[in-house]
Amino acid sequence: MIVKDWCSFCGECAGVCPRNLIQVREYSLVFNEDDCKDCDTCIKACPINALEKED
Amino acid sequence: MIETDVIVVGSGPAGSSAAKHAALGGAKVILMDKKSEIGAPKRCAEGVSIQGLEKLGIEPSPRWVTQEIQGVRIQTPDGTDVWLTKDEVKLPEAGYILERKVFDKHMAMDAARAGAEIRIKTLVTGIEKIDDGYMVFTESMGKEEVFKCKILIAADGPEGHIARWAGLRPAAKPKEMESGVQYEMCNVEFERPGVIEFYLGSCAPGGYVWIFPKGDDIANVGLAILPHKAEKTAIEYLDDFVATCPYLKNAQAVELNVGGDPVGGMTKKLYDDNILVCGDAAGQVNPLTGGGIISGMTGGMCAGQVAAQAIKEDCSKKFLKQYDEMAHEELDHEIKRYKKVQEYLLTLSDEELDSIAHAFQGESFDKISTTEIVKKLIKVSPKALLKLGKFV
Repeated sequence: MIVKDWCSFCGECAGVCPRNLIQVREYSLVFNEDDCKDCDTCIKACPINALEKED
Repeated sequence: MIETDVIVVGSGPAGSSAAKHAALGGAKVILMDKKSEIGAPKRCAEGVSIQGLEKLGIEPSPRWVTQEIQGVRIQTPDGTDVWLTKDEVKLPEAGYILERKVFDKHMAMDAARAGAEIRIKTLVTGIEKIDDGYMVFTESMGKEEVFKCKILIAADGPEGHIARWAGLRPAAKPKEMESGVQYEMCNVEFERPGVIEFYLGSCAPGGYVWIFPKGDDIANVGLAILPHKAEKTAIEYLDDFVATCPYLKNAQAVELNVGGDPVGGMTKKLYDDNILVCGDAAGQVNPLTGGGIISGMTGGMCAGQVAAQAIKEDCSKKFLKQYDEMAHEELDHEIKRYKKVQEYLLTLSDEELDSIAHAFQGESFDKISTTEIVKKLIKVSPKALLKLGKFV
């Protein structure tokens, strides 16, 4: 997952992740990419378009 | 390893309230927050009811009250206004707009003064269930530490991991998590001062736009949407609103706030052996307004009180069930009823909202409250009566 530099670390993505794979630290996001099933729920939920899927 | 009776994770209003009441009940409490500053950045429009604060025994302080609410304005898509101010309402006393940065710190200080230890900049990286409690693994500025507690209280917000790590279900399904964004702005113009404004309809699918005044020409201007009902992201809806709203033509943003709001109602299971969940993490939010300060703090108070008693008696789920009963007793009335109203409002088109607003014209109100507005809605709209007849 690409986290854009305007991410505010609000945690919306972590809250909606159906598999609980996103950890929000104070100023960073940690994704457990291995278990991610590309459901894109986090990308759609981000209020400020700060997440993008890696090709 | 550091041993204590109770660990509270998250020092928002719910967590601080839990820590305070657990400490007041005689428990040894550690309150942890991952942030360097409690209360900032806010993820909130900052409105609370006066009655709610009174019930929690919190004396309003000029340090954190920015504006006493003078009324409510609700606008529907065709520009029809429903005003509830002193001209229309007998008892306009309603609530305050807070300065959350100051309020949250004040609540944490209350917990500290009651005896809780506070650890800021401390992230919980994992938990482990043991026979008589939980091990809690933390990281603080590169330093890893291990704690052991008899009761773990998860007040770690809508993104919280603690409850899910413990095998409890999250507060909201993705479809029930609102996506919110807000600017704090100055140079805002108000038609009537001190009035909280709500804009309904397709300007914010699944939610609404708010303008909450914070004294002088300052206001929180924000919105929340349900992403599955929306075509754009929250910030795009907000920028569109700001660009077209006449009251904001000179407004300048000095702060951007972002965050999720769980509006799906309270979680099925709020407790298990040695663990309690409260606040946004437990879905203790009014699903209609999205407001969660008072309800979260009420949940926190119940959790703290039960935790303190459990330390003296029994930390198993059999005893902790009391928290579930207390929280439902205190909050169900509000959360369950407003969930129905929220679901009903989601079914309305812009035209239906307009026709309801037209029917509201000339109505007078006894007081300003969400209940009062919903009662009036049922009176003026046959469809609302059909769907919400049991509300009153």
